[in-house]
Amino acid sequence: MNSRFLRTLLVLIMVGSILLLVIPGAHAQGETPAIERLITGKVVDKQGQPVESADVTLDVSGEINPIAQVTTQSDGRYTLIVPSSDSIPENLSIRIQRAHFKNFDMKLGSSVISPLRSGEAVAMPMITLTRQINLAFWIATLTFLIMLLLMAADKLHNTLAALVGASIIFAFSYSSALLGQGLFIFNFQGAIKYVDWNVIFLVMGMMIIIAVVERTGIFQWLALVAYQLSGGRAWLLVTILMIITGITSAFLDNVTTMLLMTPITVQIALALGINPLALLMPEVMASNVIGISTLIGTPTNILIGSYANISFNGFLANLTPGVILAMVGLVIYSQYAYRQELQSASEVSPLLLEKLSERAHITEPVHLRKVGWVGAGMLVLFIFGENLNLVPAVTALIGATVLLVWIKPDIEEMIEAVDWTTLVFFIALFIVVGAIQEVGLISMIADLIARLVGGSLILTMLTVIWVSALISTVIANIPFTAAMLPVIGYLSVIVPGAHSKVLFFSLAVGSALGGNGSLIGASANMVTAGISERAGYPISYIYFLKKGFPALLITVGLATVWLLLRFLVLSPPPA
Amino acid sequence: MSGIVCAIRGGPDSRSTIDNAISLAEETGLPLYFLYVVNLDFLSHTTSSRVQAISTEMHQMGEFILLSAQSTAAAKKLTTQGVVRHGNVADEIINQCHEIKADYLVLGLPQGQDPENIFSRGQLQSFSERIEREAGAKVILTGGTTDE
Repeated sequence: MNSRFLRTLLVLIMVGSILLLVIPGAHAQGETPAIERLITGKVVDKQGQPVESADVTLDVSGEINPIAQVTTQSDGRYTLIVPSSDSIPENLSIRIQRAHFKNFDMKLGSSVISPLRSGEAVAMPMITLTRQINLAFWIATLTFLIMLLLMAADKLHNTLAALVGASIIFAFSYSSALLGQGLFIFNFQGAIKYVDWNVIFLVMGMMIIIAVVERTGIFQWLALVAYQLSGGRAWLLVTILMIITGITSAFLDNVTTMLLMTPITVQIALALGINPLALLMPEVMASNVIGISTLIGTPTNILIGSYANISFNGFLANLTPGVILAMVGLVIYSQYAYRQELQSASEVSPLLLEKLSERAHITEPVHLRKVGWVGAGMLVLFIFGENLNLVPAVTALIGATVLLVWIKPDIEEMIEAVDWTTLVFFIALFIVVGAIQEVGLISMIADLIARLVGGSLILTMLTVIWVSALISTVIANIPFTAAMLPVIGYLSVIVPGAHSKVLFFSLAVGSALGGNGSLIGASANMVTAGISERAGYPISYIYFLKKGFPALLITVGLATVWLLLRFLVLSPPPA
Repeated sequence: MSGIVCAIRGGPDSRSTIDNAISLAEETGLPLYFLYVVNLDFLSHTTSSRVQAISTEMHQMGEFILLSAQSTAAAKKLTTQGVVRHGNVADEIINQCHEIKADYLVLGLPQGQDPENIFSRGQLQSFSERIEREAGAKVILTGGTTDE
């Protein structure tokens, strides 16, 4: 009995000793119970958005060192812990410092100090910081504009232009230690916070799947099916090609779809004696229109979906009817715009048709079947995954991995098929857009738009749709959309009735359908023109503008009608 | 080996180039080679990872365009060959001329608003001289095309 007691005592002493050794201060705390005196609060900007990484200090006037200090979290909240050993003096103040904002000082009154003295926690009112326009603001703004200009002027590869932008931002930020804090925008850690990894992984996963699909010959086979279904009638052929290209673009990226559809379309047109442009132009415009009906159809939708947390179903339910409406308009317009070319089809060349039929077959039927199964599985996950909080990026990665394991392709080839330049482009773009967000340019634009629209939802919708559409005809819509997302986020908070994410859908419509307005409006337009030019049918900027701009007006107009109907009539915002 | 190389890229502007090459082949009795060069420079500013897939498609499109030209020649009882090459257009034209020891190279004069390149009116003369110097083929420029 005694030995059992001694063993138990020995174990308790050892455990106690270990606890005393590993828990710092446990001994002291055990002797004098601490009274935690807390000051909590939240810091926001003028748009009500939380301000992260702001330094909050509790100061005593005349003292150099603060009593307590902390940094705000991602939700803008902070908790100052006042040391229990200190007495609480009368002359306390809170100071908040954050790059790109004016310093905020607030003297604490007795309503705060008295509860603190009695050991109570104090909740401070929300603090709004005011933006400060300094040299960093102009550096970030100019860098963003230079990046856009380099892209628009085609002087540099888009990825290189974005990398140049990100490098300029970092160069100034890191030289601020030598040249002055006014140059500081953000450090590397701050920049990385702006990179949307959901977008990066979703795009990467889809690229792997596309790399498998494009080798199966499905595009060529579909084009021949379109010809066979049309029975050689040009008006029907162009309609079927538009629908096939559009639906394909809703699930694969538009550029790949047009890269693979354009050569075979040229061949069909030549075999039928039709000007290939009468088929190619409607095809690429349909690709730009139908692409917006799903989350994965366009890069802009991927950006919007990730930022605004809009699911696959969200795009499908809210945009597809509008897309169908726009497509009806586009088909009618295309028939009218190319009526002469479609009617003047010369006699069919049997030799060329025979050659065409020889080529248009599924080259990898087994792979295509597997792609079909995986694609169906992914579709189910995209649609129902939101119930499991499954983000689209994970679905795309799972789908890509299953496909790679199942078909066991040359992994080196698959890795090469991933368009790393595009992924790097997105990362660098997020950093540059993050920089203009950091310095307050986005907030200024948001404020300006908010003042212009004056709280009217319908006016805000029309502004977002049409301004996005028109701007997308002159600058690349991906950087534009990335920059607009925080603006739309702000407008969605302050404009009554906009919480339904209607403004994000408006941005999706404007930025993608605006691509039909000019040759440089969408990457798919550029690759189509590149291939067409190499077949002896160049598409000039003016030619595209003449044919494409009316299509923009029609499709954006019809999509606008749908959005107004959907969000203002069918599901009106609460009064 | 000897012959005529006719470099084309298709389209309405190529018709006169093809017709002139056929006439020359009929006159001289030399074999006629239609040449199409697959050049993917246009991908450099958009997407570069799709090069392998698109290269195959462009090759087939080139063959199709050549087949169309060959069928025009066949209608005139002339047997021709179609050659598709990949790479820099100017270099590949010269390489083709070298390979068959071409006597003539038939090229189209630019007509449209193509961007300034080696086939633009301003530079075509020096390109012709380069071909004659490097490949020994006589260059015949035919009316109003922008053919490669």
